[in-house]
This record gives sequence, structure tokens and C-alpha cells, in this order.
Amino acid sequence: MTPDLKVQLAGIEFANPIMTASGCCGYGEELAGVFPLSKLGALVTKSITLKPRLGHPPPRTAETASGMLNAIGLANVGIDQFVAEKVPFLATQKTRIIVNVAGSKLQEYIEVATRLDDCEVVDMIELNISCPNVDEGGMEFGADPKMTEKSVAAVKKVFSRPVIAKLSPNVTSIVQIAQAAEQGGADAFSIINSLVGTSIDIETRRPRLTNNRGGLTGPAIKPVALAMVDAVYRSGCRPPIIGIGGIADYRDVVEFMLCGASAVQIGTALFIAPDTPVKIARDLKAYLKRTKLQSVTELIGKVKRY
Amino acid sequence: MSKIACQDTLITKKRHLSQDYFSLTFSPVSRANRCVPGQFIHLLLPSTDVTFRRAFSVASVSEDGNELEIIFRVVGRGTTLLAGLAKGDRVNILVPLGNRFTIPRKNERVLLIGGGIGFPPMMFLASRLLAKGHPADKIEFFYGGRSKDDILERTRIKKLGVRFHPVTEDGSFGEKGLVTQPVERVISEATGEKMRMYACGPEPMLKAVEALGVKYGIPGEISVEAPMPCGFGVCLGCVLPLKAGGYTRVCTDGPVYPFGEVVL
Ligand SMILES: Cc1cc2nc3c(=O)[nH]c(=O)nc-3n(C[C@H](O)[C@H](O)[C@H](O)COP(=O)(O)OP(=O)(O)OC[C@H]3O[C@@H](n4cnc5c(N)ncnc54)[C@H](O)[C@@H]3O)c2cc1C
Ligand SMILES: Cc1cc2nc3c(=O)[nH]c(=O)nc-3n(C[C@H](O)[C@H](O)[C@H](O)COP(=O)(O)O)c2cc1C
Ligand code: FES
Repeated sequence: MTPDLKVQLAGIEFANPIMTASGCCGYGEELAGVFPLSKLGALVTKSITLKPRLGHPPPRTAETASGMLNAIGLANVGIDQFVAEKVPFLATQKTRIIVNVAGSKLQEYIEVATRLDDCEVVDMIELNISCPNVDEGGMEFGADPKMTEKSVAAVKKVFSRPVIAKLSPNVTSIVQIAQAAEQGGADAFSIINSLVGTSIDIETRRPRLTNNRGGLTGPAIKPVALAMVDAVYRSGCRPPIIGIGGIADYRDVVEFMLCGASAVQIGTALFIAPDTPVKIARDLKAYLKRTKLQSVTELIGKVKRY
Repeated sequence: MSKIACQDTLITKKRHLSQDYFSLTFSPVSRANRCVPGQFIHLLLPSTDVTFRRAFSVASVSEDGNELEIIFRVVGRGTTLLAGLAKGDRVNILVPLGNRFTIPRKNERVLLIGGGIGFPPMMFLASRLLAKGHPADKIEFFYGGRSKDDILERTRIKKLGVRFHPVTEDGSFGEKGLVTQPVERVISEATGEKMRMYACGPEPMLKAVEALGVKYGIPGEISVEAPMPCGFGVCLGCVLPLKAGGYTRVCTDGPVYPFGEVVL
């Protein structure tokens, strides 16, 4: 029998646990030029905001040891153009569509989510709460339990399908934030977003990013992400976890699932090898066969802890 | 069929051209026959010392469409690693990427301007135009470098039969000075002929070429560079500002732009 890669999250079935991470696959069009998107469990779009955003001036990215820094600045087409120009393409794709939503005021999240509720093709919303809240002096929504709960609850009110809270690792206790998101009604967690970091050119003495700092991603962050997934899973939170951070091959996926992830997202690895999701699905199947498992779900949370 | 092939390929030929310049030929390369001048490949080095791929313009493709050549200069970590690879080594490439140069009309005088390691796409364009029947005496190939060692593939360019104008800053080969000098001379000597310019090279050269285009009312295109995390349009890391406002993704909207479109 060929092993089954299907997974369920918040009552929705996915062909496999492999999703592409927000900001690393645009709105799907370009990636569809590399492989059919039906090979994915889901595609997660770039963060969508109420108004279009141009993003930060270049340079926006820098290479680091085993990873990269980015400060794209949430450049995106805005909800109007997204619905008019990107949704029709996504509607033709045979994969689950998750739209990542960002904003600088709670009201913006609510308005974007309201618009997305009318788009049938959108299976889920993923809330990027690693955004500065201008109403609260620029403190990140996801850095404060109360703001986290409030924003998830507000979006849940206007969006009728499942809502994922994408948690920031740049907090004292990710478990506390996860609990707050659950209180707010989160149906799943995405763990983790990028870690704050920077890099300086010692000849010019300038930061390598015009934003002065950015988000660290790629293989370098995998151990941190794994420990955070593990911590939230063990804390007894009910919502399923989507593990993110430095995943490049099937072994990484197995590690995340053993630590409690029900699915995973692939970000930076798409830049290095855009066909990574296809290879992972193939290799994951072979791993399940080799270890005599029928379903990938049998891996979830099965790490043998000391 | 997918538009972009993410493929393993072998280095089948390696040539040391001079100092830190190398030519590598890869084979087999599916989609090589679909590459057009202006396009580039994104090459993954077989090393964890670098995260991103590295972008290189297509310098030539073989007639059977199985081989693809790049010419590069060692400037940093990635290109040092690349220069250390040998015939028979395997690399992974994404191909074909980017937009393309506009093909000129056959009655137009074509001014190809390559500065330093910007010459490979100009060479590819020259051979494609010739293959399409553009008269060789209507193709002017300007090639500027610091000194003789920076002017590569001289025999190859001469063999094309185009009008070759090598220029070096120290005068060790060809005309002494900057490449824009002979360009301006050819422009001002031309009589009532339609002209079109194409340029790839360092930013100051591109600016100077654009300025000539404006001064003499000649249309043209430049090929620009930007650091590229993904190379196929998904990361928004490679942007340059547009004169009209906003940003352009160099990897998919470029790397070729009409004069005056991007802020250099
Ligand atoms: C469309 C395009 C076509 C190119 N064609 C050629 C070619 O035909 N021949 C050639 O020799 N070079 C070409 N380049 C430049 C080549 O990509 C860089 O020289 C190379 O990336 C440098 O890598 P490195 O690790 O040696 O340098 P490092 O300076 O160590 O690189 C650090 C980072 O900056 C990036 N970077 C550094 N310089 C450049 C640059 N000039 N352009 C873009 N990214 C850069 C690197 O990719 C890397 O991510 C092209 C660039 C682009 C964008
Ligand atoms: C260039 C780039 C852009 C990103 N943009 C977004 C974004 O718009 N919204 C978001 O929630 N996460 C964004 N992320 C974070 C990723 O979705 C992911 O959480 C992070 O990259 C960690 O996964 P990785 O190590 O597999 O890349 C971005 C990451 C990168 C590298
Ligand atoms: S390099 Fe990623 S969008 Fe251009």
C-alpha cells in the first residue's frame, strides 16, 4: 500500500502536509511555471494589506550563514487588486489557498478579512501578527497576549472559515501568545515567522538592509523553530500547528511533525530550489514506506523525548 | 509543460579566459534552445557556504540547443567557488529567466555596448541578430575594459564579422579611453540612419549610454543587475526604483529595460 500523505487541519483536508510560506511564493503564478500547484497541500500568499504597499527601498535582502535576512516591507498589491487580479488565477489551481493577512491597525485586518470572506476560493486566512500596530505605538500585534487575542477574535467574527494565527518568535513566551490566540478563537497556528536580525558591511559601516534590520530565515533558524513548535505542542494547546523555519528536505519535515506539527510551510528553500515541495512529497512517501507507516499523521507528536 | 526548468546539469567545458575570467559550458540543458539574448540563468553552487543562487547572463547556446555557455568574473565567494569547479562537476540551474532585448529592424544600425563583464549578453545578441539575417556591417560592437586583459573573446567577436570597437582605459588594447567615446563618434558620423542601442555593463556606463540616447534621440535598452534571492519573481528582493514611481522586479520585469525607465 502506498502511504497516505493526506492531513486534516481545522476540519479541512489537505492532499499533503506541504505548504509554501507567505512571501516566498508570491500569489502563485510564478511557482506554477515551475511545477503544478496541485502538488502542494496549500499555497499561502504574500501578506495582503488593505492598501497596496510598495515596500522598502533596496537592498531588501542579504545572505547570512545558512540563511538570509529580508526586509521586503510587506510589498503587496492590496486587497482590491488581489481580489480582482490574483484570485481568478488562484481559483483555477487545484490546491488549497490560504491568504496571509497583515495590517498596521486592527480595523485593516478586519476589512481585509471581510473582503476575503466573499472569495470562495480562500480556504483559510493566516494572520501575520508580526506587524507593528500603529494604534499601540508600533508594538507588534503578536508581541502582546491581549492584542493577539483581540485581533484573532475580531477576524474570526468576520471570516467564516478557519483562521490561522502566525506566531512571531520575537517574544518572551511563545506559549503565552499561542494560548492568547487560542482564547481569541484561532483554529491553527503557524510557527514561526522570521527572527529579527541584522548585518553590517564593515567597509561602508552601513547595515546591509535599508530598513536597518530584517527577518532571519532559512536553515539557520530551524532549531529555534523546532523548539518553539515543540513547546506549543506540549503546552496542551488544542489548535493544530503548521511548522515553519528552515525546512529544506523531507527530514526537516519529519522532525517538525515528530515535534507536533500537523503540516509545514517552506519558505527560503523555494529560492534555493523552487521544486523543493515536489521532492519533499516524494521523499516523505519513501520515508513512510521505509518506516512502515500508513499515514503521515502517525508522525505527529511522536518524538521519543528523554 | 513548465516554463522554467530547475535542472541538474554538467560542466562540459571550462575555459580560463584571462586573470579572473572564466567561461563554463553546461550540458545537457533542457530549454537552452528557448533562451534568447538578455535572459539569464540562476546557478546553485554545490556548497552550503552560500545561500542564494548566482545570476549569469546567457553568453551562447549551441545550435542543437543542448549546451549553454556563461562567462563570468570572480568577484566574491560564490564566483570563487564557481571558478573552482571542473569539467564533469554537477550544478543545478534555473533556466530560462528574465525578459529579452527587442529585436531591431534590419535597416537599423545596431550599437551593442558592453562594459567589462557586461559583454556576454551583447555577444549573444550579436550572434542571434546575424543568424536572423541582420547585416554584419550594421552591427557595431563596442567593448570597454580597464586594460587588454579585460577585453575577452577578441578572436571570437572579430570572427562574427561585426564592426568591433575595443576600448581600454589604459590604452593597452584598442582605443584609449571610455567606451562611450567611439559610441558618440559613430552616432555623430552616421547620416540619417535609424539607430538602436543596447548596453550592459557598470552603472556609470549605463547612465552615460542613456544620456547619449537622450542627446541624440536614439532608442535603446540596458540590462541591469540586482542581487537576486529567487530569480523567478516570488521574493521581491531584486527590486529597483522606477522613474515613474514604484519598483520593478529585475528578475522577471527585467533585466532589460528601455532607456529612462529605471532609476540607476
Ligand atoms: C541578470 C544578471 C546577469 C548577470 N550576468 C553576469 C555574467 O554574465 N557574468 C558575470 O560575471 N556576472 C554576472 N552577473 C553578476 C553576478 O551575478 C555576480 O557577480 C555574482 O552574483 C557575485 O557573486 P559572489 O558570491 O562572487 O559575490 P559576493 O559579493 O560575495 O556576493 C554577495 C551577494 O551579492 C550578490 N551580488 C554581488 N554582486 C552582484 C551583482 N553584480 N549582481 C547581482 N548580484 C550580486 C550575490 O549574488 C550574493 O548574493 C549578473 C547578475 C545579474 C543580476
Ligand atoms: C523574502 C521573504 C518574505 C516574507 N514575507 C512574509 C510575509 O509577507 N508575511 C509573512 O507572514 N511571512 C513572510 N515571510 C516569512 C515566511 O513566511 C516564513 O515564516 C519564514 O521565512 C521562515 O521559513 P523559512 O525558514 O522556510 O524561510 C517572508 C520570508 C521571506 C524570506
Ligand atoms: S529575485 Fe526574487 S523576485 Fe526577483
